[in-house]
Amino acid sequence: MDLELTDEQQWLSEAVETLLGREWPGSTGSEPGEAAVGDPEALWQALVAFGALSVDRDEGLGAVELCLVSRALGASLACAPYNGSAALRFAAEPLADRLPEAYAELVPGDDSVSVALLEPGRGWSVTGTQTTLEPGGLRGRKVAVEHAESVDRLAVVAAVGGTPGLVLLTADTPGVALTPQPAFDSAVPMSAVELADVDVPASGVAEGPVAAELLRRLTLAGGLLAAAEAVGAAGRLLEDARTYAGERRQFGRTIGSYQALRHILADMYVRQASMWSTVLYAAAALDDDLDEAGRAAAVAKAYVSRSAREVAHGAMQVFGGIAFTQEHPAHRFLRRIVVREQQFGDGAHHERELGRALAAGAGRGHQHSSDNPAASVSAH
Amino acid sequence: MQLQPTATERALQEEVRAFLARDRLATADLPRALDDRMEVLRAWQSDCYDAGYVGRAWPEEFGGGGRPPVEQIIVDQELAAAGAPEFINVVGLDVLGPTLLRFGSNEQRRRYVPPILSAEEIWCQGFSEPEAGSDLASLHTRAVEHDDHFVLSGQKTWVSWGQYARWCGVLARTDESVARHRGISMLIVDMRSRGVEVRPMTQITGHAEFCELFLDDVVVPKANLLSQLGDGWKIAMHTLGHERGTAALPREVKLRTWLDRVVRTAGRRELDGAPILTDPEVQVALARALIGVEVLRHHAYRTVGEFLNGGAVGPDSSSVKLLMAEAEQRVAATALEVLGPTLQHADPVESAENDFWTETYLYSRAASVYGGTQQIQRNIIADRVLALPKE
Repeated sequence: MDLELTDEQQWLSEAVETLLGREWPGSTGSEPGEAAVGDPEALWQALVAFGALSVDRDEGLGAVELCLVSRALGASLACAPYNGSAALRFAAEPLADRLPEAYAELVPGDDSVSVALLEPGRGWSVTGTQTTLEPGGLRGRKVAVEHAESVDRLAVVAAVGGTPGLVLLTADTPGVALTPQPAFDSAVPMSAVELADVDVPASGVAEGPVAAELLRRLTLAGGLLAAAEAVGAAGRLLEDARTYAGERRQFGRTIGSYQALRHILADMYVRQASMWSTVLYAAAALDDDLDEAGRAAAVAKAYVSRSAREVAHGAMQVFGGIAFTQEHPAHRFLRRIVVREQQFGDGAHHERELGRALAAGAGRGHQHSSDNPAASVSAH
Repeated sequence: MQLQPTATERALQEEVRAFLARDRLATADLPRALDDRMEVLRAWQSDCYDAGYVGRAWPEEFGGGGRPPVEQIIVDQELAAAGAPEFINVVGLDVLGPTLLRFGSNEQRRRYVPPILSAEEIWCQGFSEPEAGSDLASLHTRAVEHDDHFVLSGQKTWVSWGQYARWCGVLARTDESVARHRGISMLIVDMRSRGVEVRPMTQITGHAEFCELFLDDVVVPKANLLSQLGDGWKIAMHTLGHERGTAALPREVKLRTWLDRVVRTAGRRELDGAPILTDPEVQVALARALIGVEVLRHHAYRTVGEFLNGGAVGPDSSSVKLLMAEAEQRVAATALEVLGPTLQHADPVESAENDFWTETYLYSRAASVYGGTQQIQRNIIADRVLALPKE
């Protein structure tokens, strides 16, 4: 039992940070007022060339490695349609020979993808989606579709023959209309997507049991990558707040010497360190296909959703009034954290799911670990 | 990175489960009277030791099993999962034993370590004092050096199992002239010595598991000094870090058994005509408690992993300690809140269950105090992990 990064994983993590330092330099400066700008297209090409999408559990990247990339993207507030692109590849790769060819082509390719799941008036569950694929075409309305105007493909969650499926299409397909939405984080542009009887090629339609498995893996991995990105953003805030507390003086002392602030920072550290532990654990469980992977991913997303924001709040308290100005970078990290809190389900969503599973387990008279909790500690 | 048990580890799990199927002692079956309870618990630890489940990773020459540390964690997890009670010599196993192994002379290790494992000799620790709690370095107990012995005087408190202990690891001031951390030494005190008096204190749970310890001119041979004069503080810090660092994984398993138990109870009991467990708010409260327990496990995997791979138990053990107390207190308080009025329904069939939860809740309040309070853990993180300016 250990969760230490291997040398390769350590190297990958450092190499992605170096890449971001080069391609997204605006974000590495801590000067207030410095906008987080770079060229998103150049960044995307660099990530692709680096191999950040080379998903292959045996030889390429697994969920742990993808989380390392997402964490680095969050730490530098990069603008990239990475989470959807990586999560869909991770989800489809082991299922490729059971999926239509568009998926088999997507996995090794360079295309960027955005997942269109959320619908007006609904939460992040794929069951009950109001978008439908019927003989007349794909019909429905999606919101909060990230980078919709720039990605190569949209992956639309829709009911196909009555059960949730996934439809891959290009945004310029006739009948697809994009309307930009106000973005909470300007580096994560979002659109509403109107689908009016869109004619979609069969090669992009995943349906039936394989679609259920695809969607399960997609939402688990997507949620984990969102969580990892939030951990990255929170980690930068912790580091900046720590540095600031060691420099800023009030009442003739550095403020980091006051116990009230030291304890805020210590709590931020505990949340930060444990958030990363739980993301790593869930990602490793997903890579190992453990039975508990679903629960671990839900735990991680729920915990990070609440804790990353706690870290941000703590940092803003340490910075004081300056963090309430637009020119200070703190709010941009907070915004990224809030956006990632929502993506693939917030804390409340996953807590409800976990709670229902606990209750259902008791109802069956056999809860996951009631006979032997140690069994689920060390997998199956 | 490795989550799944190896074949050896899996075999060990099976072995312990088979042992427990034959020879299981459940916490619920323990006698209420403390003296009787003590004898049962001593026998239980002794049986487990004979089976190779105590001190499994300690050196063979001092009675241990000489196996990799991960095996002891697996054994402890299995015992916790089965609802077995904690080993009665917990202070010896978690605190003084590792300290003896790390700092003791060969002679001391040969003399003291094996009976710790078999529970023949119970150990206690004399660290805290009435005027030196969190501020341990301000302790007043004095050991005055004579030719071949020290004369020890002072008062200790929170001495768990002191009334049954044969030996006590006592921190005492041996040098008044140096900075307060440097003048402290650790002595091994024979609890049968003249001048030793133990007074049990009743806890809020009604049990008397800890004691006050009065030391009145107690003669301690110089051979019972651990390491060098003035090393006491260094030893204590190492010891407390060890205590914090490795307990989390078995504790997490125990917390999960509690959580499973409250889920079952909430599924069985009704409030206003519906099973408690069908209330979505109850489900979310339980999910939050589960998240605390799971995160503790995940974080402990990462920090304990370093220790198992030969690293030291570092200041990150403080983050484990904080999460451990948080998880335990959340599970216990959640049970109280979820079961709510049913705890007062005076149903005779359910009275043992109600007692368990009220006692568990009360006991959980200690988790944020013992072994260094939450506030002390935050200070440690602020100093040693974040390197913030000193207060």
